[in-house]
Amino acid sequence: MLLSACGEQPQTIAAKPGQSAAKEGDKPYNNDLFKNDKNAWQLQLRARADHQNEYKRVN
Amino acid sequence: MARMKFICDAERCIECNGCVTACKNEHDVPWGVNRRRVVTLNDGIVGAERSISVACMHCSDAPCQAVCPVNCFYKTEDGVVLHDKDLCIGCGYCFYACPFGAPQFPQAGAFGLRGKMDKCTFCAGGPEKDNSKAEIEKYGRNRLSEGKLPACAEMCSTKALLAGDGDVLSDIYRERVMRRGRGGDLWGHATAYGRPDTKPAGAALPTAPAVAQPAAQKS
Repeated sequence: MLLSACGEQPQTIAAKPGQSAAKEGDKPYNNDLFKNDKNAWQLQLRARADHQNEYKRVN
Repeated sequence: MARMKFICDAERCIECNGCVTACKNEHDVPWGVNRRRVVTLNDGIVGAERSISVACMHCSDAPCQAVCPVNCFYKTEDGVVLHDKDLCIGCGYCFYACPFGAPQFPQAGAFGLRGKMDKCTFCAGGPEKDNSKAEIEKYGRNRLSEGKLPACAEMCSTKALLAGDGDVLSDIYRERVMRRGRGGDLWGHATAYGRPDTKPAGAALPTAPAVAQPAAQKS
């Protein structure tokens, strides 16, 4: 009971001002599907985005 | 390099809430948290009613990121604003800073205790291993890593909501406005993606049409 106060963890913020403290996320193209090929991933997304244009899709 | 953006075309949105449902379903968003919602302006005024689908716009200069006391926000190389739920303390500063009301807080306990912030991730998950159990539980599905666009935009039946690379979206929207000859104003676009040195333009929505006053009754 007396020792419970000794386990206090530091509560200071590790982040520096202007810098994100978040963990580094995975690159969205670094997977089995795109095999770290950023260009292929961007082309895929571009094709998907272009598909939203119904003028191109219909005509 | 792609710069991911959202566009909502107020001329096309029919307030079907398909985007809201798609988002809820895709990410299993808890009750009380709405990553996306549809706002209707001039409700009930014939000819002036406009609906807009609103979520995190992944701003160029994100105010949420600027005010976060624990710096849990980060921006991916594609311009998607994400945050680390392991660092978030649920203070709510981001909610006050966001011009779109995007940050959402689940009720974590009694007496209105707030949980960690939750917001639209542009279907890009978070800072966990892609498509891992931890990522899906904390942030929802990662469609971007599957080469897909956000579910809300892909589900939109009238294609009022567009998502993707800013250049492609600009081309689509330009063609659309040229063909219909009106409705070139994009709600929230200047606020989210405008340059800091320029004053953001207000929402240029049509004003209510003049309603003919009934003729004065003869006494």
